[in-house]
Amino acid sequence: MTRSTKRAVRDGALAVFWLWFGARLLNDWFGGVFVAAGEPFFDPQPVADASTALREAVAGTGVLGEPVGWVANGLGSLSFAMTYLPDLAAGAWLTVVLTIFATIFGLVLAVPLAAARVYGRVTHWVALAFIELIRGTPLLAQLFVLYYALPLSRWFAAVPYLGSGIVPEQAVWVAVVGFTINSAAYQAEYIRGSIEGIDPGQLVAARSIGLSRVQGIRYVVMPQALRFAIPSWTNELVYLTKYSSLAAFITVGELFHAARAAAYANYRFLDLFLLAAVVYLALVLSATTVMEWVRGRVAIPGVGGSGDGRMSAD
Amino acid sequence: MAENRLLDVVDVHQSYGEERVLEGISFEMDRQDVKVLVGPSGSGKSTMLRCINRLTDIDEGEIALDGESIYDMNQNDLRRQVGMVFQDFNLFAHLTALENVTLGLKRVRDMSEPDAVEKAARQLESVGLREQANSYPAELSGGQKQRVGIARALAMDPKLMLFDEPTSALDPELIGEVLEVMRDLAEEGMTMLVVTHEMGFARQAATDVLFLEDGELVEQGPPDQLFEAPEQDRTRDFLGRLTSLHGDQ
Ligand SMILES: Nc1ncnc2c1ncn2[C@@H]1O[C@H](COP(=O)(O)OP(=O)(O)OP(=O)(O)O)[C@@H](O)[C@H]1O
Ligand SMILES: [Mg+2]
Repeated sequence: MTRSTKRAVRDGALAVFWLWFGARLLNDWFGGVFVAAGEPFFDPQPVADASTALREAVAGTGVLGEPVGWVANGLGSLSFAMTYLPDLAAGAWLTVVLTIFATIFGLVLAVPLAAARVYGRVTHWVALAFIELIRGTPLLAQLFVLYYALPLSRWFAAVPYLGSGIVPEQAVWVAVVGFTINSAAYQAEYIRGSIEGIDPGQLVAARSIGLSRVQGIRYVVMPQALRFAIPSWTNELVYLTKYSSLAAFITVGELFHAARAAAYANYRFLDLFLLAAVVYLALVLSATTVMEWVRGRVAIPGVGGSGDGRMSAD
Repeated sequence: MAENRLLDVVDVHQSYGEERVLEGISFEMDRQDVKVLVGPSGSGKSTMLRCINRLTDIDEGEIALDGESIYDMNQNDLRRQVGMVFQDFNLFAHLTALENVTLGLKRVRDMSEPDAVEKAARQLESVGLREQANSYPAELSGGQKQRVGIARALAMDPKLMLFDEPTSALDPELIGEVLEVMRDLAEEGMTMLVVTHEMGFARQAATDVLFLEDGELVEQGPPDQLFEAPEQDRTRDFLGRLTSLHGDQ
């Protein structure tokens, strides 16, 4: 397959996913636009019946009936997916919320952290201590501390509108805080790496025209460092999409939690986790696609490495 | 102090840790002087320039700009008044030629966007780069990059321009266009302190040549005197070698 066909296949699959996902959320938030909230768009029962009928028809025909058996199995899986996808959609929405908020807030914290780590004197040690503490302890432990040991959820409980309508409830925001802190530490390290990869002459030149150190960092170093950090930032988005499943352990009903809850109802753990995996895959592919677009949007010849194909020879 | 005096460098000592780089340098520059600083690699030429705009601090001695010690001045203000051009250009890689020039105008001189753009465009035109205003550094030739570097420094309206081997990183065929801009600048009366191996430029444009070796100023004087009748054998040897390597441009 050529690069462009691969891209077309991916974009097509993502379009189908987001069409479904968008319609699903719209339907469920606004109390049943197309079908009753939480109900499948199409009734899975006929599909399940067809599967059963096929299987019965070829029962006892041995090897000959096997291909028909596969079709029956496929229809069975389809009706299963149709039944449980609405549950997973609600979970996937929380996964998206967790990932996006944590990445963006994390970036906002990571930029000053990285600057402090590279350029600071006292702040260097503060940033270093924070980064090492966060990277050196398990994410799950951090979530437990935030959720069970700190009064965070009580504070969030006092915020109006949390948990009403489409606004997620307090445990989600505790998780956002946790993932933000965690992601900030990792993102700070990515950005530090890109800062260190930038020619020190850039800051010297900034200083030589009278810009202060902070201005030099703000207007000259950071715009370049952030562009160089986009590939690692993409990785961070991918990791966070999947790591956000840890929020299930502090009661957040995200995608993994939703799959597990559904599985307890019918004991089809493998099927449900496979289905959840497909949804995770769609989310991760969406994240990398968006970042690819962002990278193209902010590309500058000679800054941010390959991708623009317009690098000069020197 | 003479009315016309712009820069006094008095008995300057500088070291990086244990390594002593400058060991008692003294010279002065009047307005409109063009002085060329030459010397072997590692003799401290770049360090001398960096001391003048306080990119490096000195251990002993005194440097004064317009009669005022540079250590009594606001650091960023000093740097605005002293332009610097670098061997490897150091253009801001993420900004166009025009934006390279406007950044300082907007952030240091607090000019409005339209004023900054207008001034920057004129400055680029003066170094022959009107067409390239919207090109990024990676899209420019070395000679064009260095001319943007010069425009960026000039836009701050400096009293003194420092050049640290502005043509050393250039392909031979690109050196001429940069030297031409520098010669024009000298003719317009800019005060310039230039580290360069281009002896043709020194002969034509310099009011004085300063020969630095091992952190000491061995000899200084008008180019004719230094090239034709140097007092020191060391000067004769060094300049003789330089001239055979980097003839007239
Ligand atoms: N930032 C620094 N830290 C430590 N030592 C330095 C630093 N910069 C320069 N030096 C040392 O100081 C001495 C003088 O360096 P400087 O760059 O001033 O020489 P130069 O005359 O400009 O040489 P060149 O012709 O190679 O550019 C050299 O021995 C160099 O190794
Ligand atoms: Mg040097």
